Amino acid sequence: MILSPALLTELSGLFGILVILSALYMQGQSFVDPTIRAISFQSFAIAGLFVVLYLQSGDITLVYLAGITAVIRGVLIPRVMLYQVRNFKHSLRETGAGQRIPSLIIVGIIFVIGGYAIFKSVLLPAALDPLVSVPFVLLLLSFLLIFTRRNALMQMSGFLEEENAVLYAGALIAPSIPLLVEFAVVLDVLGVVLVGVILSASRDVFLTLEAPELEELSG
Amino acid sequence: MVLDQTTLFVILLGAPAAGAAISLLPRDGIEVLASLVSAAISVAVSVLFFLLGTTGTFGYFYADGLTRVMAVTISAVFFTSVAYSVFYIKRIKEPFIRFRWYYSLVDLFAFTMLLAVTVNDLGFVWIAIEATTVTSALLVALEREKTSIEAAWRYTLIVSAGLVASLLSVILVYYSQGTLSISDLMVKTPASTLLMAIAVGFALVGYGTKAGIAPMHAWLPDAHSEAPSPVSAMFSGILLPTSIYALVRTFGLLQGSSVFGPMQNLLIGFGIFTALLAAVIMGYQRNYKRMLAYSSMENMGIILVGFALGGVGAFGAVVQIIAHAFGKSSAFYEAGNVLVAYNSKSMAEVQGVAKKLKVSGYLFTLSCLSVTGAPPFGVFVGEFMILSQALSSGNFLLAILLAVAYMYAFIGLNKQAIQMIFGQQSLASESEAGPESPHEPIAQRENWISVALPFANLLISLIIGVYMIPLVLQAATGFGL
Repeated sequence: MILSPALLTELSGLFGILVILSALYMQGQSFVDPTIRAISFQSFAIAGLFVVLYLQSGDITLVYLAGITAVIRGVLIPRVMLYQVRNFKHSLRETGAGQRIPSLIIVGIIFVIGGYAIFKSVLLPAALDPLVSVPFVLLLLSFLLIFTRRNALMQMSGFLEEENAVLYAGALIAPSIPLLVEFAVVLDVLGVVLVGVILSASRDVFLTLEAPELEELSG
Repeated sequence: MVLDQTTLFVILLGAPAAGAAISLLPRDGIEVLASLVSAAISVAVSVLFFLLGTTGTFGYFYADGLTRVMAVTISAVFFTSVAYSVFYIKRIKEPFIRFRWYYSLVDLFAFTMLLAVTVNDLGFVWIAIEATTVTSALLVALEREKTSIEAAWRYTLIVSAGLVASLLSVILVYYSQGTLSISDLMVKTPASTLLMAIAVGFALVGYGTKAGIAPMHAWLPDAHSEAPSPVSAMFSGILLPTSIYALVRTFGLLQGSSVFGPMQNLLIGFGIFTALLAAVIMGYQRNYKRMLAYSSMENMGIILVGFALGGVGAFGAVVQIIAHAFGKSSAFYEAGNVLVAYNSKSMAEVQGVAKKLKVSGYLFTLSCLSVTGAPPFGVFVGEFMILSQALSSGNFLLAILLAVAYMYAFIGLNKQAIQMIFGQQSLASESEAGPESPHEPIAQRENWISVALPFANLLISLIIGVYMIPLVLQAATGFGL
């Protein structure tokens, strides 16, 4: 093998750090387009991780998964989302997010530390790979992004981050799981097609991509 | 030629799938016919399964008592919802999607739910439940109003985010047990009890989101109230129980392990919290469809408690699933009749319904009574069994909380429903209820379809209750009542 096992472990750790940094970067954004570019970067980093895991385990499924992740969540979906941004200038910056960004970054860091502590005390004793702590923290950060933002594209980025986290965890925990990751990606595409239709309709009806406070939908 | 049972499973699933494809053919009216025929075939096959007592593994499929009950319930509500759609959706002037797409998606929606409850693989159960979101999201937005589009977005986002957590549950089950086959998993002892407990925890978050379990329920009142009434009926009557089914299948894998007790308490805790929260909020609603949505949430909380308790409680939960599905679909069809007549979902604007919609008004009242556990409807039997299981297992605090939830829900829903049906409408509110919506004005009110379908479903809910009453009396005797 060209790369030594020690180097592969180092590479795996490096990609893990890049993934967490990209997630924290997304928490700190009030503009939509850098967030979309960050999710694209993160998907490529995760695709890189899958390649490293393939080199470690020899499981060819991980190569397919890397390719699908890079193409769908690294290129295709971000392109669709950036197309939405370009055609709808109002959505470039999330209203009111600027003031909340510092506190969201702090909460994000607390999630990273707290998430790791929870992983160490609850999940690690269940004989999981210590590296699973990275997708676990990523999962928590994705929930934070989804539920603290109002812009539909920001929420969509959070959703993609969540998918990244679970596929990453799946590849670490049970790479041989039959067909599940592939089905997840296929459904991802179906979901995005739907989201695209609803986003377009939402844009036409509301003239914004930010969730309105509708009186009828309260209570 | 006698068909084997595997072929019957293929027909059960193939009928709605074929209906979905045929609905898209460019021939006028074919979508209604294809959907009705496919739903009728599904009902016939699932009833056959029920009568045959189909149990065991059949190729890719698995069946036991719960499967049979779920298949019959899903097929029946699918059929009545398609039939009710004939009356309801033609009144929508600017639909978000074409009607042939509507019928096709309804067929696919039913297909995904039937797949979820019959397939013998937890991975495919997850895929089928994820696919229910894909097939139903556009149905929520059908009426092309601001609120319906926002509700569809919230539904898609929250439910998809939740379901990704349940994918993690599936991965952990595979890692722990080395298989996803339900029939194999049911006879295996958990290799790592802690790992399986974590898997159940993720399943609770994921499938619980789809089932409307608090605090992950935020999508539910919006989607139920904004979807067209036949779709609301399918959401409430069969989609929520299908998600509970997936959760219960995962939870059942802990049977006999050391973590069963703590996880049982966790499920009971979430269930009773959901029931109490929904029961309290229900009484403060201003939108009658939203009120029915909270009632569904309350029922799902109680059903979850029943399954977690096991024994008679689990049997009660199954009875409640069937009875609630028929009772609540009836209530949503009636709500659809009211909406068609009044063009408003506001209870303040909809008063004295019994004067304008004589049959629908009374049926709506009876439907509300049925889903809140009024005897002798089936929900009463289910709730009684769950309560008796709580008492017999010595969990008196839970029994008290259940009784409080039953009482709050009963008063909260029926007080408002009776006010709406028999109350007096003020002149001001009557003039406000103008016909500026995609629905027809008051002239066209009820027809035989719009009344016969909810009546039939309500009757089934009643028959289930009456049929089961001897069991209630038996349980009551056991407590010296």
